[in-house]
Amino acid sequence: MASSTAVLDRLRARIGTTAPPISATVEAGHLKRFAEAIGDPNPRWLEEAPPTYLVALVPASMHLAEAEEYGKGWLNGGNRFEYIEPVKVGDRITAVGRVADVYEKTGSSGTLLFIIFETEYVNQHGRPVARLRGTAIRR
Amino acid sequence: MKVGDEIPELVKHPTTRQLVQYAGAQGDFYEIHYDQDYARSVALPGVILHGLLKAAFLGQLVTDWLGDRGTLKTFEVSYRGIDQPGRPYRCRGKVAKADGRNVELEVWGEDPDGNRTTVGSASVEMKGSA
Repeated sequence: MASSTAVLDRLRARIGTTAPPISATVEAGHLKRFAEAIGDPNPRWLEEAPPTYLVALVPASMHLAEAEEYGKGWLNGGNRFEYIEPVKVGDRITAVGRVADVYEKTGSSGTLLFIIFETEYVNQHGRPVARLRGTAIRR
Repeated sequence: MKVGDEIPELVKHPTTRQLVQYAGAQGDFYEIHYDQDYARSVALPGVILHGLLKAAFLGQLVTDWLGDRGTLKTFEVSYRGIDQPGRPYRCRGKVAKADGRNVELEVWGEDPDGNRTTVGSASVEMKGSA
């Protein structure tokens, strides 16, 4: 198994890299299933995306396979959404994700690896609709 | 609306079934959310809620309160602790800042022991001249 320092160095080399754009259409059926899954009965979500929906439309972060050589599991540290324009049924959304930062931090439960992902979502008119910043942790 | 005002709370009752439903809807099939043996093998007490499901609960707290009175501009959550299905999850919030039409809420999710396992904030722009 590679040392954690070697894994960290390889991951740090990925900072600034972007993933290939991923596009998906907001489908009424999927939106309805998402609203049911979160248990939110607001009829508004039959037409419009609720606050966290975009993570379900396309993967919320790039898959960094080498990160799995570090520690034994993933934790989600946090998410920050910025909303620019509502996302509605029928919208074609393109997401571009990038690795914004990679670092280690030592706390009471040992040393953890933090990976910060940023995603920008653009609609079919070329207008940005939302941005997401997520913190993935390997422990 | 003034700083310190609490917004109506929202209590959710997540079940293992809901975690499976959410895994499917989000497309997050990490085993810690539905496979008890796997979850224990990575030192968890059992399956746990998706962080983003807890974020969705807090999102509902905010949008239920806001309705069509304004627009959600930012929404941020940090996950501080794990939560297991079968335990009620209490979502709460209060006004942290109110500057004309711009209002910032502090939001959090509590487990039945009162631990704030998810903390966050939301900023909204109210319609009209507040």
